[in-house]
Amino acid sequence: MMRGHYIDLEGAAAFVEEWGQGPTVLCLHTAGQSGVQWRRAGPALAELGWRVLIPDLPGHGRSEPAPGGPIRDLGQYGAWCLALLRQMGAEHPAAVGCSIGGKIALDMACRAGASLRGVVAMAADAGLDKRAGAAFARSMERELEDSAAPSRSDRTYLGTLAVLGRVVPAPRQEMIATMHRREDPAVTHSDLIGWANFDRWAELATIACPVHLVVGSDDLWMSPDRAELTAARIPAGRYTLLDGIGHYPMEETDTMAELLDGWLRAFGEAS
Amino acid sequence: MRVLPSYFEDFRPGDRFTSEPRLVTEADLQHMIEASGDRHRLHTDAGYARDAGFAGPLLHGPFGIAAFLGWFTGSGIAADTVLAMLDSNWRYLGPIIVGDALSFEMTITRCRRSGKGDRGIVGRHVRIRNTAGTPVQEGRTAMLVRARDREAAPAREFFTPAWTRLVGAGLGGNEAFRRATATWDGAFALACGEDEAHFRVYKGQVLDAGPRPPNGPDFTLVADELVWTELFTAETDQFMQRAMQGQFAVRGSAYEYLRLTKALAMTVEVARTLFREGGAA
Repeated sequence: MMRGHYIDLEGAAAFVEEWGQGPTVLCLHTAGQSGVQWRRAGPALAELGWRVLIPDLPGHGRSEPAPGGPIRDLGQYGAWCLALLRQMGAEHPAAVGCSIGGKIALDMACRAGASLRGVVAMAADAGLDKRAGAAFARSMERELEDSAAPSRSDRTYLGTLAVLGRVVPAPRQEMIATMHRREDPAVTHSDLIGWANFDRWAELATIACPVHLVVGSDDLWMSPDRAELTAARIPAGRYTLLDGIGHYPMEETDTMAELLDGWLRAFGEAS
Repeated sequence: MRVLPSYFEDFRPGDRFTSEPRLVTEADLQHMIEASGDRHRLHTDAGYARDAGFAGPLLHGPFGIAAFLGWFTGSGIAADTVLAMLDSNWRYLGPIIVGDALSFEMTITRCRRSGKGDRGIVGRHVRIRNTAGTPVQEGRTAMLVRARDREAAPAREFFTPAWTRLVGAGLGGNEAFRRATATWDGAFALACGEDEAHFRVYKGQVLDAGPRPPNGPDFTLVADELVWTELFTAETDQFMQRAMQGQFAVRGSAYEYLRLTKALAMTVEVARTLFREGGAA
């Protein structure tokens, strides 16, 4: 049974789903989306013996906007997530995220690794190549203006289809891409500016918890090599390539809960 | 066993052929030196070549073209029907040295019947890889091949005026395209080398489809021959993937290009459907 909570966090109402009982796992969504991305994998993971917390990040889904306007620094989300875990009374929690959520989870490991069981960062690495990141941030800055962002909804829809894995059946692909249209472009673009500027390469060697980097082979947004390199630079880093999966593993495959359960239990053995 | 294409009608855009490894020998290098008279130290002096950053003396660039042609003839493709090589546009990406095992990958790109109809031009995209699988040369070369009959097949003759008209007619009958362009008044073009396919659209109707409109397009979507061929002959829609991978360039209004994203995806879809239903058989 899901328990839904609105909690007061950093001056705004934050919505968080809570499923199951056991060690806490925080599950984070992607840019411009919401916790609904975990509607299958979240409860399934809870069935396997975890207390699963699925927040909507500020300005997303059912959470109120951040008081200072759309967030464009993923570190701010990382601090917000750690505050949320404290408020929800989570002890030695794990964090799992995808895309910006993956980078946010990695940021949490940099900030507070010693207090975390471990982190699974999917479709994420420690940061883009500087020049590519700056170019992407500039184009996202431009698209924050509505007048410069024609076909916004079509491009979200077609762009989502373009990065789904080849093992995902067509009706599931259609469902995912259709649901991804439910975004606030101002929030999505701010998220993506955060994605573009994210850089944690210098901190990787100091991360105190296990971190598992996971990339889908069909994910056009990601360079698997950079994720693998990220894992190699983390003392307890691990890397997995998911064959036939794209940028949104928790939405694409029904085996996500079992995979996560195995990876999260391995953290227990490692620490 | 695969039946090798012989006459013009046997070739299909998207068809791909690959070779067994072909070892590059010292004799190859010596023959190139003798035939060309090019005795530059890059080809003749191992120490000089090493100082320039290469593992040994380099084969002359055109050796790649020559070796490809040798493999092509040996393959038996168009053995009794080929009449001429028409052009070669080549890029040299990395060195070829003695001891390399080269492999050739040839993709049939465009097929176009000649004016008289008794022969046709077949475009070939060629990629040459070394032992490690790294591409060392890439190019395009077209050949003239005898035709068996004179029956036109515009659905697979990409970027010809007849193909452009077919795509235009397909878009005209496509309800989703009509809706996507219902508030648009303009023209767009697809470009492949010097060939362009123009579509003039007014409120969802395709007014004209052809090679040369009186007025220029609002924007032109540019890609190379291999990209268009793979796109039009693919089993699944790859337009957005390739756009995200930077395989297209846009000339003209980038804003109108973005605005027509869905309409362009449909244009590619119409071309794919034409090929699948009328051009692939």
